[in-house]
Amino acid sequence: MMTAAVATPAKTAIRTEGLSVSYNGKPALKSVNIEFYENTVTALIGPSGCGKSTLLRALNRMNDRIPDAVTQGKVFVNGINIYDRGVNLTRLRREVGMVFQKPNPFPMTIFENVALGPRLHYGLRGRALEEVVEDALRKAALWDEVKDDLKKKSGLALSGGQQQRLCIARMLAVQPRILLMDEPCSALDPISTQKIEELIVELGKQYTVIVVTHNLQQAARISQYTGFLMYGELIEWGETRQLFERPQRQETEDYIRGRFG
Amino acid sequence: MEVQATYLERVRAGEWEALAARRDKARLRKNALSSALFGGVGAFTILLVFLLLAVIVYKGAPTISWEFLSQPPKEGMSAGGIWPMIRGSLLLMLGTFLLATPIGIFGGVCLAEYGERSRIMRLMHASVAALAGTPPIVYGLFGLAIFVLKFKLGVSLLSGWLTLTLFSLPVIVLTTESALKTVPSALIDGGLALGLSRWQTLWRIALPYAMPGIMTGVILSLGRAAGEATPVLFTASIYYSTAQLTLGWETLRQPVANLPYYLAEGYRQPGVVPDHLIWGACLTLIVLVLLMNAAAILIRTCARRRYL
Ligand SMILES: Nc1ncnc2c1ncn2[C@@H]1O[C@H](COP(=O)(O)OP(=O)(O)O)[C@@H](O)[C@H]1O
Ligand SMILES: [Mg+2]
Repeated sequence: MMTAAVATPAKTAIRTEGLSVSYNGKPALKSVNIEFYENTVTALIGPSGCGKSTLLRALNRMNDRIPDAVTQGKVFVNGINIYDRGVNLTRLRREVGMVFQKPNPFPMTIFENVALGPRLHYGLRGRALEEVVEDALRKAALWDEVKDDLKKKSGLALSGGQQQRLCIARMLAVQPRILLMDEPCSALDPISTQKIEELIVELGKQYTVIVVTHNLQQAARISQYTGFLMYGELIEWGETRQLFERPQRQETEDYIRGRFG
Repeated sequence: MEVQATYLERVRAGEWEALAARRDKARLRKNALSSALFGGVGAFTILLVFLLLAVIVYKGAPTISWEFLSQPPKEGMSAGGIWPMIRGSLLLMLGTFLLATPIGIFGGVCLAEYGERSRIMRLMHASVAALAGTPPIVYGLFGLAIFVLKFKLGVSLLSGWLTLTLFSLPVIVLTTESALKTVPSALIDGGLALGLSRWQTLWRIALPYAMPGIMTGVILSLGRAAGEATPVLFTASIYYSTAQLTLGWETLRQPVANLPYYLAEGYRQPGVVPDHLIWGACLTLIVLVLLMNAAAILIRTCARRRYL
């Protein structure tokens, strides 16, 4: 059923094994097995309600926040099953960062938004902290727009697209290696969307990036790998080009044809 | 020959404008009626408050002078100023603020964090809400029984602080709790996704977000405490004594004069304190409380401007 990737191009950063999630006993994700590669962008596509966000949130255990959610199966990050007893959530989330659908900057200055993570996690102060903040803002392609009022302006005073890049910078400042993004452009205008897309492509060169999107063209533009979900099942996954041009499963073909018209 | 078209015929004829016109008229009538009603009641309430203020200002303003505010009473309290009472009120407020703010915020945090899941916490919430509605005299008697007599603190500034702290706590706890509940869960998610612990998320993100609301609650509840005579009646108050004029550690164990008690006593013992002094003190107290409320509003607007 699964489309194995052609020759594995890079090392696996995350792997799931029989990952299932249910809410109140209602299954939302059914025994998913998928791998995400280093220095690669993987897109997750599928109709809404198919479990894309659920899968993403299972990868950094944000589902722990939902009392009704029950997770079964395994997720390996660096060879460690994150659902094992005694796993340190702070360490996991330092390694696996996340950006949400709706930008959620903290009600503090731009600088403080980015500085909070490295200050609390690594005890950075002074010059070191400022360098890390600048580096993160540059990587998020936001530095030039905010460098003049870094410590004056609230993160909430930025435009939607800038806010989302601020959230990306905030995530990068913690020095993760795996980036989870849940429909990061769906609340943004076309120009901001294009900027974020370019940014994702750029980040894909250094990070393991997993992007949920309901936009097939976007998945085709930014990802090297794509997974297609439906009714909580991973129907197929593999190289983006192959999945779009020669899908193995009828469901995938129907969905892609239906969407591209 | 004119036949009134039936409703159905008009719908079928597509007379949408004509149909809308009737509804518009009805809506205008209703709007006018409710405007008049609410406007009238609102205006009446405001008028009443202004009338009250106007009387106090009219009666009290002539007394207000630098001397009145900065001098102690003279000639067996029949002349002079009310400085010891003002200072006593300020002292009572300062200590209460320092004690009640951290304890109240801590209580509110506990209720907000654990409130929904545990039955004990739900019970606590209900109890705190009941305490918020408890009459101030009950606090006064409690303070008398526990702090003054049981702990042998005597009628003193210290007993007053403790009693007023108890008196203002419920409101601070409840406003802290509700301010924390307004924190968007997206912000909490953001903090947790960064790897912050539950407590770090609370201290670094939720509390700063809720702080303007919390401080508003703190100041409003202090304002209420500043104006109440009964909690300090048996626990901290003295009408006036010349020992009042020096400040030191021993002040903690001594009773203090304060504005509400001065007003209550002054009014109860007619002929000692002349009316114009009472009115002046009355105005001073009201201005003090209004200033505190103004500070609360200022803090809130400033914070909002800073964050948004
Ligand atoms: N917190 C929740 N409580 C109960 N059911 C949920 C919750 N979150 C998601 N679901 C359900 O799980 C399924 C998958 O949701 P989700 O992962 O958000 O889908 P997607 O992101 O693909 O649109 C949906 O049927 C949704 O109704
Ligand atoms: Mg979703």
